[in-house]
Amino acid sequence: MKIRVLLADDHTLMRAGLRMVVDAQPDLTVIGEANDGREAVAMARELKPDIVVMDIGMPSLNGIEAARQIRAGLPETQIVMLSMHSDEGYILRALKAGAKAYLLKDSAEADLARAVRAAAAGKSFFSPAVGKVLLEDYMRKLERTGAEDSYELLSPREREILQLVAEGKSSKEVAHLLNLSTYTVETHRARIMQKLNLRGIPELILYAVRKGFIS
Amino acid sequence: MSEPIGIATDVSLPEVPAPSSTLRWLLLVICGALLALLFGSGLVAVQLLEQMYGQQQAVTHALAERTQMLSGLWLSIQSYNQAVQQFVAQANVERANAEQAEKTRRRLDQLTVEIDEGLKSYPSDRDAAETALLDGMQDVFYQQRTFYISVLAAKPEQRRREAQALISQNMVPLQKQTLNWSERLRTWNGQRLQQADQSLVREFGTLQGRLSRTLTISFGSGLLLMLVSMAYILRLERQTQNRYVQLARSQHELQRLSARLLDAQETERRSISRELHDEIGQSLGALLVDIGRLSATVSNPPSQVRAQLDNMKSVTERTVQAVRNIALLLRPSMLDDLGLAAALEWQGREVSRRSEIEVAVESDNVPEELPDEYKICIYRLVQEALNNAVRHSGARNAKVSLEHSAQSVAVRVSDDGHGFDAGRTRGLGILGMEERVKRLGGTFTVESKPGHGAMLKAELPLPPASPDSL
Repeated sequence: MKIRVLLADDHTLMRAGLRMVVDAQPDLTVIGEANDGREAVAMARELKPDIVVMDIGMPSLNGIEAARQIRAGLPETQIVMLSMHSDEGYILRALKAGAKAYLLKDSAEADLARAVRAAAAGKSFFSPAVGKVLLEDYMRKLERTGAEDSYELLSPREREILQLVAEGKSSKEVAHLLNLSTYTVETHRARIMQKLNLRGIPELILYAVRKGFIS
Repeated sequence: MSEPIGIATDVSLPEVPAPSSTLRWLLLVICGALLALLFGSGLVAVQLLEQMYGQQQAVTHALAERTQMLSGLWLSIQSYNQAVQQFVAQANVERANAEQAEKTRRRLDQLTVEIDEGLKSYPSDRDAAETALLDGMQDVFYQQRTFYISVLAAKPEQRRREAQALISQNMVPLQKQTLNWSERLRTWNGQRLQQADQSLVREFGTLQGRLSRTLTISFGSGLLLMLVSMAYILRLERQTQNRYVQLARSQHELQRLSARLLDAQETERRSISRELHDEIGQSLGALLVDIGRLSATVSNPPSQVRAQLDNMKSVTERTVQAVRNIALLLRPSMLDDLGLAAALEWQGREVSRRSEIEVAVESDNVPEELPDEYKICIYRLVQEALNNAVRHSGARNAKVSLEHSAQSVAVRVSDDGHGFDAGRTRGLGILGMEERVKRLGGTFTVESKPGHGAMLKAELPLPPASPDSL
């Protein structure tokens, strides 16, 4: 069964390019095209696609808000966000809105198919350049403020759990994979969040992207 | 946020006619003339009064002297007459007393000399009337003396015989005449005094007239001065008023103009940014997609074709990046995509990436439902402030923070650079920020001292929430 994709971008040219990329894949199919955020929400409700590939900057309703609304109504539908910016403000907000994958438009045609497949499987996906930029920002900040890399504070087990959680696995899945109790995993997760001073899963995913655990 | 480039903002005001210099000179001349007049008339009056006082003194003195002399003279003549009468009487009683007679004669001689001298030394201005009076008196005295000499010369018997008759015939009328003459002299003196008094009164009258003329002129010119001054002052007042109104109006218009300029600038930027992004950006994006597909389609291309494809790709990518940067500079699309907080964070990171300053943004408390012009204002303000800090301050750290209350939103940008004198240096950047803030009715302050960093603060009052917002 093919993965059903809804494309939402206010630029016809871009949409046509994306459609070609998706349609070239045997396991993917485009079931609709939306011209702005509002239309994307309406079409998603109607078509119930597996994946919505959404431009972050759209008129009438921007991609972030549209993603939030789609995720609220259709928890099974995953969002692949398209953006020009590899800025953590964008990424974090996209993640908070419920996006699974974050693609830079520059490299969209190369990574789109992989991103769609990953998101459909419930995994996170980020353009390789994103992690690089985030890491640069992070390192520069550490260097200038003289702070220590909080990653050093984590134990090997915690690092393992961090990676798995960031990849999109639930505590239960992690517990099963590592042969631990769910409670233990939850405790580890709380300690990780505390050590890294993170608030919520989106920030944790961002951290993992920065560290290069996910791409 | 240092602003070492102090640019003088010289706004020339519309030409206003200067107050007339003729009027000014006229006022000065009238004032001077008035003062000179008052001073001159005062001086003249004092001199005249002094002169009059001197004259009066002289007249009084002369009168006193004359009266005294006249009394003396009159007394001498009386004594003389008595002596003559005595002599005649003696001649009657004791003829033997020659010694006594001789004594009387000597006395008479002495009195004659006294009277002569008295007459000669009588103070006189030698005018005709007085001389005539004196001469008349002298004549009478000479007659008396002649009579006396004639009596002396007479023989004692004859004298004895005629004495009574002589005295009654000659002496009494002569005495009367003397009295008469002296009376006339006295009268004349009185007349002179009266004359002098009259002339004094006349002179006083002249002085009075002159003074009152001067005072009238002074009063008139004072009045004139007052009127002209008042006219001048009123004119100045009117001019000042006009100028003030003009200034206020032009200031208001300038503000409106600059507000419209800012609006137009933002609108223009937004439309150019959109054009760049929507047209050029998308075309380039599509081109990139095509290039990618082309290189995927051509399997095992000759190395030359591969190199050309790669080159096309990198040039297109660079162009895309450039267009994107320009578009972002013109209109930060994150304001539309993510809101103010994310846009400020993005900007802080951008500045951190391309400069030596690490920017911390505290934007937890940023209201997202702000009207667009507020977002733009805050965004541009932070942009300008951070750019200034990068260019001039030499700071290592900068901090952007936002505070939000029900009535207002405040933004603060501070750095730890070398600062500047906020009281003196006001560059165009700061002026522009101030203008933006003022336009929304906010307050804008810059706090900086050389060596102590800089802090820039703007507080914008929020518009009352309308029911359809949010």
